[in-house]
Formats: sequence, structure tokens, C-alpha cells
Amino acid sequence: MRVPYGWLMEYIDTDASPEELAHVLTMGGLEVEEIEDWTSEDGQASDKVLITSVTSNRGDLLSMIGVARHAAALLDVEFTPPEMSLPATDEPIRADDDLTEGDTRVQILDLEGCPRYSALRVTGVDVGPSPEWLAHRLEAAGIRPISNVVDATNYVVWETGQPLHAFDHRLLIDGHIIVRRAEPGERMLTIDDQWRYLTPDDLVICDPKGPVALAGIMGGLDSEVRKLTKDVLLESAHFNPTLIRRTSQRLPLSTEASYRFERYVDPNLTLPALARAAQLILDSAGGEIVGPALDVRTEEFELRAITMRPDRCNAVLGTDLSGQEMEELLKRLGLEVRMQYGLSVRGVETYLGGGVPVAEEDREGAPGRPAVKLPEPDALLVTVPTHRPDLEREIDLIEEVAIVHGYDSIPMTLPRAGNAAAVLTREQKLERRVREVMRAAGVCESLSFSMMGQHDLDSIGLPEDAPERSALRLRDPVSAHEDLMRTTLLPSLFDAARDNVRQRVQDVALFEVSRVFLPAPPAEGKPSAGEEEGAQAPRGLPEERRRLGAIVMGSVMTSGWNLPAEVAEADFYWLKGLVEQLCRSLGLDEVVFERARHPSLHPGRSAQLLVSGEYAGALGEVAPEVRDAYDLQHPAYVMELDLEVLFQHAQLQAHYEPVPRMPAALRDLALVVPDDEEHDASTLTTAVEQAAGDELASVEVFDVYEDPERLGAGNKQIALRLTFRHPERTLTDDEVDALMRTITQRLERDLSARVRDW
Amino acid sequence: MEESIRQLSDQARAALEAATTEEELEAERRRFLGRKGLLREIRQGLKDLPEEDRPAVGKLINQTTRQLEALLEQRRQKLASGKAAFPEDRLDVTLPGRAPLIAGKHPLLATMEDMIEIFLGLGYLVAEGPEIEDYYHAFEALNYPEDHPAMDEQMTFYVEDDVLLRSQTSTVQIRVMEKQEPPVRVVVPGRCYRRDTVDATHCHTFYQLEGLLVDEGITFADLKGTLQAFAEGMFGPEVRVRFRPDFFPFTEPSAEFAVSCFICGGVGCRVCSGTGWLELGGAGMVDPNVLAGVGYDTERYTGFAFGVGIERFAMLRYGIKDIRVFYSGDMRVLTQF
Repeated sequence: MRVPYGWLMEYIDTDASPEELAHVLTMGGLEVEEIEDWTSEDGQASDKVLITSVTSNRGDLLSMIGVARHAAALLDVEFTPPEMSLPATDEPIRADDDLTEGDTRVQILDLEGCPRYSALRVTGVDVGPSPEWLAHRLEAAGIRPISNVVDATNYVVWETGQPLHAFDHRLLIDGHIIVRRAEPGERMLTIDDQWRYLTPDDLVICDPKGPVALAGIMGGLDSEVRKLTKDVLLESAHFNPTLIRRTSQRLPLSTEASYRFERYVDPNLTLPALARAAQLILDSAGGEIVGPALDVRTEEFELRAITMRPDRCNAVLGTDLSGQEMEELLKRLGLEVRMQYGLSVRGVETYLGGGVPVAEEDREGAPGRPAVKLPEPDALLVTVPTHRPDLEREIDLIEEVAIVHGYDSIPMTLPRAGNAAAVLTREQKLERRVREVMRAAGVCESLSFSMMGQHDLDSIGLPEDAPERSALRLRDPVSAHEDLMRTTLLPSLFDAARDNVRQRVQDVALFEVSRVFLPAPPAEGKPSAGEEEGAQAPRGLPEERRRLGAIVMGSVMTSGWNLPAEVAEADFYWLKGLVEQLCRSLGLDEVVFERARHPSLHPGRSAQLLVSGEYAGALGEVAPEVRDAYDLQHPAYVMELDLEVLFQHAQLQAHYEPVPRMPAALRDLALVVPDDEEHDASTLTTAVEQAAGDELASVEVFDVYEDPERLGAGNKQIALRLTFRHPERTLTDDEVDALMRTITQRLERDLSARVRDW
Repeated sequence: MEESIRQLSDQARAALEAATTEEELEAERRRFLGRKGLLREIRQGLKDLPEEDRPAVGKLINQTTRQLEALLEQRRQKLASGKAAFPEDRLDVTLPGRAPLIAGKHPLLATMEDMIEIFLGLGYLVAEGPEIEDYYHAFEALNYPEDHPAMDEQMTFYVEDDVLLRSQTSTVQIRVMEKQEPPVRVVVPGRCYRRDTVDATHCHTFYQLEGLLVDEGITFADLKGTLQAFAEGMFGPEVRVRFRPDFFPFTEPSAEFAVSCFICGGVGCRVCSGTGWLELGGAGMVDPNVLAGVGYDTERYTGFAFGVGIERFAMLRYGIKDIRVFYSGDMRVLTQF
């Protein structure tokens, strides 16, 4: 809100500068974002304007009086509100929901939506420009001056926070105001010349013919005050905040009035605001007040009483304030405070009388008399005025004590130590380890958005029935291509690769550990017979799974001069090696790579990872169609692993085995076999392991060779290095030769392998 | 004769040792050991000696020759190795190295982890919770009044009426407290979402670190002291922390907290918009309604909570001006960390 400094100073007795005031207010809970040097359009007036940002619980600070009252409390100075009462002869007249006085009738059909409606009629006005001082103030506050009558109402809105509306009384049929819900299909033209289409959720001010104002939001064009208006009906009402908020959001239409009503306006402000506005109109537009004000309401809007225990206050704040000090602080806010002494405090009852405030002179210590030493009260009984609806509970008062005392004045301490050392959980440690391994391999850590769009799912080649296609949809996405919560990290990885290539960066290696969101299956079990047909089965929250995604293109070396591409650049086996390292660092055994199809991957160059038999993700070369979709000219390799699966089987700690004492015997074995899936490396090594028995310590592939001329077309040669070791003794050459014979026989027999001599 | 041989030997040794290039060494070899060298001259003098002396002197000459040849070879090698005689033995050490890259942490996560380390040291466990939440945990349990302007500030993404993307990590407070009795001492790092269009300073995705401590006798003064300790851990012992009233439905009293600008030390500069302060987050005493909602005895237990945004902090720390950098995946960006 714009708070002109000069205007504000009218209500408080201080010579604080705008800067000082801004500081005090900011430190007191009303943030001043900026101090603006303002000069009026005609150049005749200037002021400093404090631009405040009001928290949503403090609607009372949306007025000059509210700001002044708060500033006075913080500065501990006098606060003087303007005169806001009607002539004593014209006591308002009151009724529950229907009231007629003279030519005016106010009828509330929805008391919940409008608990109070006050109105006052002023006739004989001359509509014209406002006096300069008033026009300037409005201009400083950011409101365009219109005419003396309208300006007077706007001025009072700014000054008191009570939204007002001025109707041309003659344009209201029968001078009859009806407050009700809109009827289905009803519409009205608001003063901004817009048709507003209404629903029964909207509260409207009507005359017998139809809506004349959108309650608490904006007046109607047909009944607004105009140049020739002579007879004005001022509306000052209290509306239900939720109702106003819903209509304002639905239309959407936010105004100074709706903004205030949403944040609760003091219901006891309706009459003072009418009086203030009427006075300003009489001063600037002439005319006279007709009859008493009308005040239609059922509620009393009484003050609220809250108890605050000083002990509790200190216990929450960590302060050491006395009950008297707290009383002092709360009184500065304009709250009425009385001390309460329980019966347990002997003698106090008779000494002071229950809850009776001690006279000022007793407290101060009048001349010649010592100050009365007051016992600590058990509680403060605080009466809260209706302009502070946010003060409802003890804790609310404790906060007020803290604010007026000053957050700066509260000491700094550390909580007593916890009783256990804090360490990361197993999963957190494992996640950090995964990220470390990836970084150590030269893969950069990246982050990308959790949202994706339909086109992403298409681009990565998913078939129509792919499970990844059932993704949660945002109702109100920021953009149409980010309307789904991602079910896979792959699109983000491809996007990153494409963006890099566009920037002529050909070497890409990046990974991300983030969550994917898998919609929860509908609740199990059929709906019971009694349930409404078509009632949606309640759905739980989606499953969020931590995934590791990575993409690699080109080299992951610091430099690759003179290195052949197969050394310098990542390929399938580089990526697989990385996954193997990762599995090793997580202490996973039972890690199996199997050839597998994946819609985004090259059919011949992709694998799935099984950990202890469970699917843990896929890796491989990006399929040509997907590469095309992302404009990737060079081969790219991606993986997406489910960390939840990996972590489930992971071992945080390594298990040590003593280094073998006995020497090993090494033998090399070159096998010529058909180059097909029945003779892939793992089949051969597994066969070797099964044939060899316990003495075989390891078998490793060390060469793969294809040469149609020497090996025959469709054949390949795989060279294996076998390590034999006996735990207790040195194996003799004869023993190892015997083992080798068994192995080669088995391979020749079962796999039609031909053993090559060296 | 023997005497002159020894003198010649000493002379030759000194000369061979003194030679600093292979050319000099070769010249000395010719002078002493060459076909017309000095040793040859002496050997030719043998025939002038008496018959009985010849074997001993001859032996001495041979011995001296061998010794000098050995020294010559030694010197040759030494000079050769110093010079790297063959091109294939010489590397251009200015060519770039060829090691695997070692990549760095993402700046946002690095910043968050530094924060977490501080709180681990202060005895806080790290908790996590769902990014997609239900209305109850996101708002109701956090004491948000229904249909209140306080909700506007959250700019929440909705999936369904009751299912939404969390707009703050505070939602995890409830999930943690539902599962355990006090004392509770946790920090919650995580990704949050807000309906914001993406530009240099706004993003619909952001990271927060939430803190929660509930125990007997916890005070607002403890909150202040804790965040001061945190700030010192991040910025060093000179940093000052400022608290001013703010409003969050789930804390009361509530505060916005700021640290003295670490660029200008609090004098006021461009980074802190001349205020001398950098706003870091929100904090406050956990509202009794929140504690009661999870079944805690509000008379016995009090607690505080705080939340810090990571992006702004990381931007200041690394000098990043555009928030989109964090989500770019640009190798030219990522390889800088």
C-alpha cells in the first residue's frame, strides 16, 4: 500500500523522518519496500511515499489509521485518529435484516454473506472537483481523483480501511437496497464498463430491478454517482471475506475494496466511516445529511477477551520480561490489559481487588510515596478491539509482545544439545555415493525440470501403450509443453544433449539424480454397491522414485589429441563400465546385464540391468529415430537406473577378504565360436566357471577378434584368461592342465567351440 | 716412467671430468686415448726401458687405459642423458594432459550440502518427503485457513483438488512429526514448485532447506541463536543475523531473517540493493495448532522451524545472475564447478 508520509504524520505525534519510520515499521512487521519521492502531476505538492507490503493476516494495516496506530505503538508515541462521529442528534437506527427510513430501505437476504450493512443519505450535493489538498493526497496514494463525492469515499477507504460505495439515490428503484446472492444467469455492468456474469456464489447489492453493485468488489455502472447526481446513498458494509475472495478470484477481478474485504475489515467501522465520508462530502460538495444512518445487522461484534500467561510468554520467547512489562507493551498497541491474580497468590485479592488495574500513580510511585511493588500476575486478561481479528489466542498475544518489544531485543541462545549424533540415513549416504561415482567418472551433475509434455513422450519413441505415458497432468501448467509430471528422466537428458550440440558442444557427459512420478493405481477393491455411480475411486499420492539418468556423447577426457576415437570417446562399453563401477561401489553382487529392447535405444546396442534378478534400469546407444528427433548427429549413450532398486540391494560397507597366499596359475584360452547370442561372452564365461570347479579363481575376457578369412565367416574369437588357485597349496602344472582339458572338452561339446592353439 | 704415467692419468681424469659437451669429451679422448694420443706415446717409450722393467710398466699402462676408458664411457652416458639425445625420448610437456574428467557438484546441490553439513554438526537429521502432496499436509495441517489470501502467495500447482505440487518443504514437517514423538530435530532439503513463469529471476522450480526442532523448553531465542550459528557456518564469524516480524500460518511468532551482506559487510551495495542485508528465508515458533494437529502436547513442547531458499544463496555465492543457469544442462556451465 502507498502510505504518504505527510498524510500519516497527521495522526502520530513524532518527528521521525520517513527513513526512520520505514525502519521502525519494517522491524515491527510492516515491511516498507521502498520510499518514493512523489510530486503531484500539477507540480503543486510533493511528499515521500512509503510503499508497504502487508502480510495477509494484517488487514488492519491497509489503512492510514492502521499504519499510524502501529507506528505509534512501536515508537511509543501518541496516536490521534480523526473525528469520525455523526451529529449526536442523529443516532443510527438499527434493525436485524430489514429497515426502512424515509425514502430508503435496506434489506439483507443473506446475513452470512453480509453480516452488517450501514447506509447514510446525503442530498443536495454539487458534484465537482475535490479540494486540492484531498486530490493531492489521493494522487500520492495512487488513486485517480474523480469527483468530490467519489473522492471522499475513496479518501475514507484509504484513511480507515473501510470500503465505501456511493450510489445515486435517485437511480435506485424505490431507494431500496437488497443484499442477496446472484441468481443463475444474472449479469450486471460494472463501473469499468464490463459485463459480469454471475452465479449464486456471488453476493450482489440489488434494487428491486436487479444488481446495482458486485458486493465488496465493484459498483454498477447504472447507479454510479455522476455529474448531475444530487442525492447520494453511501454504503458502508461488512462482507464475508471468503465469499468476496471466491467471487474476486473467479471473475477474476481484484479491487481496493475486495482486497480489503478478503483480509477482514473491522465490522465496527461501518458507522464511523460513514460519518467521516459524510463530513468530507458536506465540506467539499455541500448538501445535507438526511435522517439517521441505517444500521442493519444481527450480530453485536463484541470485543474479544484473551488470557496470556507471562510465564508462557517468556517460555516461548526466551525472554525474562515481567508481567508489568508485557502489560505495558500490549497497551501500546491499544489493547486493554488487566492483571489476573489466582487465589494461590496470598493476599493479592484483597490488596488489589480481582483484576483491577493499579492506578498509574501507585505504579509510578507518586511524589513522597514509594512505588508499589507489584506481585507477578498469573495472567494478563487482554481485551482485543475488533480491528485486530488476528488476535485470537495466547500465542497471538505473545507474538505482539515480541513485536513491540522488538525481535532485536530477544536474546540469542542455542537449544540444549540433542541426545544423539546426527548422521545421514543409509539411502542418503548411498545417493551421495552414486553422485560421487558419476562425477569421478567425468559425468557432470545437472538438474532439470520435473515437468514434461506430450511431445517429449513422442520424441523418445514411446509406443502408445508405454507405461511412461500415464503421467500426472497439471491442471494449470505454466506452459502447454510442461503439463505432465515426468515419468522418465530421458527427455530431459536428450534435451540437454540437443541444446549442447546447438551450442556446438559435441562432448556431452551429464547426469541427474531426480524423482519421477508414477501415478498411483486406483484404490483396490470394487466400489461397494451403495456408492454413487461414476464416483471416482479415491487415488493416493503418486509413487515418487529416485532415478539416475545420464547421457554421454563424444569424449569424457580432458583432452584426446592423437588418441583413436575408440579410446577417447565413450561408447556402449564405456557406459556399461560406468554402471559396473557404480554397482561395485554400492556393494551390489548379482549384477546381470541382458540384451533388452527399449523404445528409446538401439535394438542391438542396449541392455537392461538386473540386480538380484530385479529390473533396475536400461542403458545403451540412443536409437537412430530418437537421435533424429533431437538432432543428434553423433552416437549418444544413455542410461536410466532406478535407485530405489539399487539401494534396496546395496551394501553400504565393503566386506574384506584376506588376500590369497597361494600363487595363481594363469592359462589363456582362445575360443572360436559363432558370433551369435548363444555364444555371447557371459555364456562362455559361465560355461567355463561351471566346468572348472572351485580352483578357478576368475575368468576374464581379454580379446575379441573377428576375421572371416582366418576364422570363417560369422565366427568370432574370444580369448579368455583363466586364473586357478588352490586355497591351501600350489597347483601343479599337471593339475591345471587337467582342469584345462575338462574345460575345453566341455566347451567343445556343449557350445561347439573350437579351441585355438597359441 | 711410472711417475709420468700417474701424472698423465691424473691429467686425463681431470680433463674428462671437465668436458661439458660430447664434442669436448671426444677431443679429450683423442688427446689421451687416441691412436696418436699421449698414452700411446708412453707405450711407445716402453721399448726404451730395461727388459726387466717392461712388464710392470706395461701392466700399469694397460690398467690406466682401462680406467680412463671406463671413465670416458661413464662421462659419455652422463652427457647424453643430460641432453636427451634422441627425439623419441623427448615429450612436449606443454601438450594438454589426457586424463578422465573429474566433474563437479551441481552448484545448487553443493550449496545445499554445505548447509546440511552445518546442521548435521548441530545434531539435525536429514528428512525427505514427497514432492507431490495432498492438501492436508500442504495446507490444512500447516494451519492455513481455508480460502485465505495466504494461499495466494503460494501459487500452487494442482493435479487434483486434493493433490498438488508442494510449494514449500514445510509440508515435510507434518510428515516427520506424524511419525515420531519429540524431540524432533531435522532439516529437509528438497525441490519445490510455484506457478511462476521462468525468467532470469523467477522459476517454477526451486530448492529449499527446511529446519524443524521440537522439544521441551525451545524458545524464540534458541531460533535466533541457531540461525546465527548457521549463518556463521556459511559466511564466517563476522556475519550478523537480523530478524523482523513476518507472517506464516504455521509459525507464531514468525520472522523473516536476513544476514549482513557478505559482499559489502553491511554497508550497502548493489548486491544487497543498498540495504546491507540479504534476506535468506522465513522462520518462527511452530504454531500450537500445528503441534496439536499432530497430537503433540502443546503445553509441554515448543519448537521452531525455518526455511531457506537455495537459489538466491547459490547465485550470490557463485556470481550467477540468471536463475535458469541452474537447470540448463549446458556443459559450458556444468564444467565450471
